[in-house]
Amino acid sequence: MQRSPYPYWFVLPAAVVFVTLFLVPTVASLWFSLTRWDLYTASFIGLDNFRQFFSEQNLTLGLGNTVIYAVLTSATKTVCGLLLAVLLTSGIWGQSFLRTVVFFPVLVSTIGVGITFTVLMHPTKGLFNVGLAAIGLHGPGWLTDASLALYSVALVDLWKGVGLATLIYIAGLAAISPDYYEAARIDGATRVQQFWRVTVPLVQPATVTVITLSLIGGLRSFDLIWAMTKGGPGFSSDVLASVIYKQYQAGFYGLSTAGNVILFALIATIILPLTWWFNRKEVDL
Amino acid sequence: MAEVVLKGIRKSFGAVDVIKGIDLTIRDGEFCVFVGPSGCGKSTLLRIIAGLETATGGTLHIDGREVSKAEPSERGITMVFQSYALYPHLTVRQNIGFGLSLAKVPKDEIARIVTATAATLQLEKLLDRKPKELSGGQRQRVAIGRSIVRNPKVFLFDEPLSNLDASLRSQMRIEITELHAKLATTMIYVTHDQVEAMTMADKIVVLNGGTIEQVGSPMELYNAPATPFVAGFIGSPKMNLYEGKLAQEMGCQTYGIRPEHVLLGAEGRWQGRVKHVEHLGADAIVHLDVEGLGSLVARTTGDTGLRPGGDVWASPQPGKEFRY
Amino acid sequence: MTRRQYWTGIIATVLALVIFVVPFVFIAFTAVKDKAQASHLDFTWPLQFLFWQNLVDVVSTRNYMLLLAYFNSSIITVGAVAMLILFGAMVGYVLQRRQSRWNKVIFGCVLAGLIIPPAVVPTIWVMQGLGLFKTIWGMVFIQVAYGLAFSVLLYRSFIATIPRDLDEAARIDGARPLQIFLRVILPLLKPVTVTLIVVQSIAIFNDFTNPLYYLPGKENVTVQLTLFNFQSQFSTQFNLLFMNILLVTIPPLIVFIFFNRQIVAGMTAGAVKG
Ligand SMILES: Nc1ncnc2c1ncn2[C@@H]1O[C@H](COP(=O)(O)OP(=O)(O)O)[C@@H](O)[C@H]1O
Ligand SMILES: [Mg+2]
Repeated sequence: MQRSPYPYWFVLPAAVVFVTLFLVPTVASLWFSLTRWDLYTASFIGLDNFRQFFSEQNLTLGLGNTVIYAVLTSATKTVCGLLLAVLLTSGIWGQSFLRTVVFFPVLVSTIGVGITFTVLMHPTKGLFNVGLAAIGLHGPGWLTDASLALYSVALVDLWKGVGLATLIYIAGLAAISPDYYEAARIDGATRVQQFWRVTVPLVQPATVTVITLSLIGGLRSFDLIWAMTKGGPGFSSDVLASVIYKQYQAGFYGLSTAGNVILFALIATIILPLTWWFNRKEVDL
Repeated sequence: MAEVVLKGIRKSFGAVDVIKGIDLTIRDGEFCVFVGPSGCGKSTLLRIIAGLETATGGTLHIDGREVSKAEPSERGITMVFQSYALYPHLTVRQNIGFGLSLAKVPKDEIARIVTATAATLQLEKLLDRKPKELSGGQRQRVAIGRSIVRNPKVFLFDEPLSNLDASLRSQMRIEITELHAKLATTMIYVTHDQVEAMTMADKIVVLNGGTIEQVGSPMELYNAPATPFVAGFIGSPKMNLYEGKLAQEMGCQTYGIRPEHVLLGAEGRWQGRVKHVEHLGADAIVHLDVEGLGSLVARTTGDTGLRPGGDVWASPQPGKEFRY
Repeated sequence: MTRRQYWTGIIATVLALVIFVVPFVFIAFTAVKDKAQASHLDFTWPLQFLFWQNLVDVVSTRNYMLLLAYFNSSIITVGAVAMLILFGAMVGYVLQRRQSRWNKVIFGCVLAGLIIPPAVVPTIWVMQGLGLFKTIWGMVFIQVAYGLAFSVLLYRSFIATIPRDLDEAARIDGARPLQIFLRVILPLLKPVTVTLIVVQSIAIFNDFTNPLYYLPGKENVTVQLTLFNFQSQFSTQFNLLFMNILLVTIPPLIVFIFFNRQIVAGMTAGAVKG
């Protein structure tokens, strides 16, 4: 009997690992989020965990912060990434050195970056405020001011992640045929017009990638925040991922898992319509 | 050394019937060419024989053994692909010896066979090169070498010459024909080029839309095409074919006359005006506009004095007309 | 190069030095300072270059914990990347070559793996049941489970460029499915494989969150966990803390110098298609 030269057992090793360590826990989380759970016995408590999530102020704060953090980092990475990519493909002096320098932080340990910037953002001794003082400005408490901490971490996230966005945009720009620019120049378009009329529409696939990747990353982000503020001061810079970890540490496994389910739902409600919308727009082009 | 027998072979991809019932016997040692327009199912039929596709229906025997469900490697066949399909990461030596090494043939035995095969194909100097360092013709020879070492009962070729330039193509045509003469193995050769079919085949199978139009030797197909399709497909320039009212006036559904059987002169059956003359040297192809007939192509001697715009009379050579 | 490109480049370089290079110089400076000068947290030239002494001090802290951490991280990285390569290529191969309704299921899993955040506590529950919790092997499998989607996507799109004729030629030559894969396909995947090795190694080596959850305990420390824990240990010895940061920054730097091209290829290929 003839068998396929591409047998399905090739998928088996991967499937075993993926199903046991990813799919099963994901499906199980739907049940455990409805329980009070200590890893050994789970008692069903309905939607209590979710109710608690949406009623306790520090937990709702985490939800709001997650969205703010994700949208902020994604938007800034997209804009800065595109501008940097345009700059770094325009044939300026030192171009390849600049590409290297901008990209390198992507590869560095997040914890290392977090610790370094925590020191640089020290309210009195940190380089940030010492530098600002040198030009006569009084710098804020970057990580100690509760209203600012989340944004300070987002700034570091931008610093670390903008290189990847730039890289993706550079690849996207390379795929645009120079003919379009020549045609635009013949039509008398200025540099700014070329940017808005040619670059922005034609680099859209890269934009979709950058936005999607950075949104997913932003919604899930944990280690940078944990290394820099541990969600503090107070709960001011807590996001869902750090709340999940805190509840886990405190032994509220059911609540922690409910947080996971909420994070999943949040990602789905943001990413799926976005992907759908992007796909539709692409067809229009 | 093997006979290949196809009985009622059918193949559909989903709802599309690509091969619609093929009965065919290819005799031991025969050079059989499948010819037909692109998309008619030649490759599919060849791949069914190879075992790369499974037929939806029918049976296949090679050398008296039913192999409809056998693995390709168990059918005693080998195949030369249009793309040659040489393993890019292996040297010529390793490419030719790949099948032997899979079969766990001892190393020195492999080396001996590879060297001998390379010698017959003049590949000795290229044995340590990678495929990308070879020319098209050399790749072709390596692909053939890889097939020979399998010591197959049947060689299958799928348009092996279509990636070569014209002069190399005619040279490889001769090499493959010589190879066949030397090995005397059954060969099945797929092409869309009727010139290749005419020059190489013992037996031509004309395929059209997944069915066989006609089977026969090249001259049988030329002299007695069974259908208008075969008549139009075999021979160059194409046969002049007329349908509808014109054909009815001549007492048939389709009327055909080959260009080389159209006689031009000062009088004749049809009066025409010369539209265009192609001078091939020894011959000239004359395109005429004939009143009541439409366009007519005639082949005449190279020293014809006809000029575009001139008037001429044309007649079919007696006994060479085809009526369907 | 026009004047404009020249001057824009100069300005951009100065800005990039301030924004992107100064933090690294700060790390390097602080790492070689003595304890007193480092505690000022300022960006100044080191008064003393105590590179070796600080290095030895960091490495020997807590009974050479950092060495153990490097050992553990290396095992996890090598083990996980090896499996990601082999398993990912096998799935990508079948997914690209075979058309059936199972493909939709596999593809759905790949997308799920890319988007869904892992459910942490249920994962710990499963790992405890299997005896994988707090083990190096458990960590390896976790990294495989989380990294598979990216590997599969990258391999699938590359395999699409390898002609099927090669598989068929090998079949006719008598190769069995596994032989076709190992002897014909896998060698041809080398460019993506190099890219994946580099990109996944860096990601796994730098991973902090997953070891934090799934690999607690002193004997299982990884490089990133050690760094995080030293933050409180060295709260008064910033020179040692930054020496540690310097040590975790050097491996990716070396990889980056040697494999710049592959990293760029991997990040953009995976991204633009995804
Ligand atoms: N794997 C396939 N799936 C669906 N249709 C196919 C497949 N392979 C071939 N076909 C169709 O079958 C017909 C015959 O193809 P083929 O045998 O390659 O033609 P030829 O070699 O004569 O040009 C074509 O219409 C082609 O589109
Ligand atoms: Mg074909």
